[in-house]
Amino acid sequence: MKVLQIDDLSKSFRGHEVLKNMSLAVEKGEVIAVIGPSGSGKTTLLRCAAMLENADGGSINIGGIPVLANGVYAAKNVLKQARGKCGMVFQGFNLFPHMSVLKNIIDAPVHVAGVPPKDAVAEAMRLLEKMELADHAEAYPCELSGGQQQRVAIARALALHPEILFFDEPTSALDPELTQGVLQVIRALAEENMTMIIVTHEMDFAEMVADRIIFMADGVVVEDGPAAQIIHNPANERTKAFIAGLKAVC
Amino acid sequence: MMKKIFLLSVFAVFFLCNAASEQILRVVTSADFPPYEYHEGDKIVGIDIDILREVLRRGNCKMVVEDMKFDSIIAAVQTGKGDIAASAITITEDRKKMVDFSIPYITAKQVIIVPENSKVQGVSDLKGLRIGVQHGTTGDSYVTEKIGEPQRFSDASMAVAALNRNKLDVVVLDNDPAMVHVAKNPQLKILEKPLTFEEYAFAVPKGRQELLKMINDGLTGMHLDKTIVEIVDKYNERTQKSVDSAQEDAASGFKADFYTNFVKNERWRYLVDGFIVTISVAFSSVILGVLIGFVVAIIRSTADQTGKFKIADFVCRVYLTVIRGTPVVLQLLIIYFVVFGSVDVDKIMVAILAFGINSGAYVAEIIRSGIMSIDRGQMEAGRSLGLNYSQTMGMVILPQALKNVLPALGNEFIVLLKETSVCGFIALQDLTKGGDIIRSQTYNAFQPLIAVALVYLVMVVIFSKLLEILEKRLKKNE
Repeated sequence: MKVLQIDDLSKSFRGHEVLKNMSLAVEKGEVIAVIGPSGSGKTTLLRCAAMLENADGGSINIGGIPVLANGVYAAKNVLKQARGKCGMVFQGFNLFPHMSVLKNIIDAPVHVAGVPPKDAVAEAMRLLEKMELADHAEAYPCELSGGQQQRVAIARALALHPEILFFDEPTSALDPELTQGVLQVIRALAEENMTMIIVTHEMDFAEMVADRIIFMADGVVVEDGPAAQIIHNPANERTKAFIAGLKAVC
Repeated sequence: MMKKIFLLSVFAVFFLCNAASEQILRVVTSADFPPYEYHEGDKIVGIDIDILREVLRRGNCKMVVEDMKFDSIIAAVQTGKGDIAASAITITEDRKKMVDFSIPYITAKQVIIVPENSKVQGVSDLKGLRIGVQHGTTGDSYVTEKIGEPQRFSDASMAVAALNRNKLDVVVLDNDPAMVHVAKNPQLKILEKPLTFEEYAFAVPKGRQELLKMINDGLTGMHLDKTIVEIVDKYNERTQKSVDSAQEDAASGFKADFYTNFVKNERWRYLVDGFIVTISVAFSSVILGVLIGFVVAIIRSTADQTGKFKIADFVCRVYLTVIRGTPVVLQLLIIYFVVFGSVDVDKIMVAILAFGINSGAYVAEIIRSGIMSIDRGQMEAGRSLGLNYSQTMGMVILPQALKNVLPALGNEFIVLLKETSVCGFIALQDLTKGGDIIRSQTYNAFQPLIAVALVYLVMVVIFSKLLEILEKRLKKNE
């Protein structure tokens, strides 16, 4: 069963075409890493899929709900339903600074999904436990390290029980020594068969956690295949050059 | 049957009462001009007021007196805000175009006050000198037309204070108040030859023939039976008394001045009452302003971010441009004289409305800047969690934005608090006006001004302190 199906998606910003009729299908439980040079459209793809950006054309289907059909968006209530099926983790965490960690997590379940506050708190504590942050439930985001904040952001996204989770460069804003904790959490989610799309520059991590890697350039999918194959044995010249370039830096 | 008779009798009683009840007329005056009109305790008294009251008594009418700036009085009658103006108004051709005048009831003169050692002898020496007048008086128009641009003061004691500090060479004033001022300041004198003779009359809105006839009949009667002379004599005695006591005051020091300004005749009440008006106008209009500001800021930033509300956004832009592009005094006057021109409305409400609408424009931009200062990732995070636009706005963006703009909002409130000092333009007795009234009674500019300034200062200091505490509380989670 497909959790996400994208067909012929296109998106331009002020005449500049960022996505050029690109397509992508994600099976349930699949973990996909999206790599590519900056400006290739990775983040835009993710933002369109997560409905933070309106695409210009194409179709998007999330968990069986037709969000976008041939360039036409569905009615508001349909979109709202689809939103509930996806969660987003941002590069800059985007926690709400004026709310405690616990409040950050329970806010949406209580106000959007109508979960009774008591149940929402219990669920939030379970998630924080998993993130090894249970002691910090009453802390404010500014009192946490970047790695801790990102784990809270993941817990916040999980609290709505999404069917698919999008990660937009989840470790790019972190100091290197803080990335491990976040990556471990994502790995643990992969082991629980969470469907995830991760835009990342961490090749080792991508190879370790992803089932598939997609290499994007100039708004299209250049190469799509099993993680090990893309990294060690890419078929396309551009993919080769990109991977080689990354290795040279390391 | 019984019922019918009962109903009939009720009607009859009602009808008779109505016919017999006296008409109540609204009289406007500028009560800073003793002995013609001034505050005594919580009442407005004076020659004009007493004469008019007697006129109306003879015409079987009553009156309510309203105090406002002299330069607003003709406008007030012209727009029907008042039925009669009784404020030592000289009949002039210009004024005749706007209002109808009764027959004159008094002849007065404008005199020239100079320092004791001045070389000025008479009218012919005035050319090129620094002349002080009370704004909107006949002295003002005479000097403007015949001699040259004078310096216009809103009340006489300010002009005299300026003369005392050598900021003016002469002051042109009506004879009676001039006598009191000179008595109070022995270093000043009145030139023997007056500048003008003039006739005072009551002004009524154009076309009120019946009212005019009633006033003229009353005045004619009072001229004949010498009632007017009696009233003037009564006040002349009082003027003489205040001249005497002013001479005593002039010799006295700070303590005696303090007593005259604030303790005598419970004059401190003007400050207390004014303080209450100022605080209630400022507080209510800040609430109105914040409400308007919120709505406008949200419409504007929603339009910016989503492209919705195009028409509402346009209306908001016009509102911001007009309100921020014109002085608040004019907005206050326009709301009072134009918007509510023909409606009788509580002046406090007018002031709250004017200052609230004015402040709303500034608050809107402050809040909008707060909203824009919040990283757009916050909105995206909210939306990605399924909160809709207004939920994200209300629960995520605004709480952060408000915290960021709290200092700017506090500043706006301080500005607003002080801006309410122009309330006097529509005859609302706020703190500043309270000081004006004391000044007009005691002929002393220094102490009332300082006292009023101190009250404002204390209010602002207390408010700033409260704001500081609030900011510290909100800073906790940073």
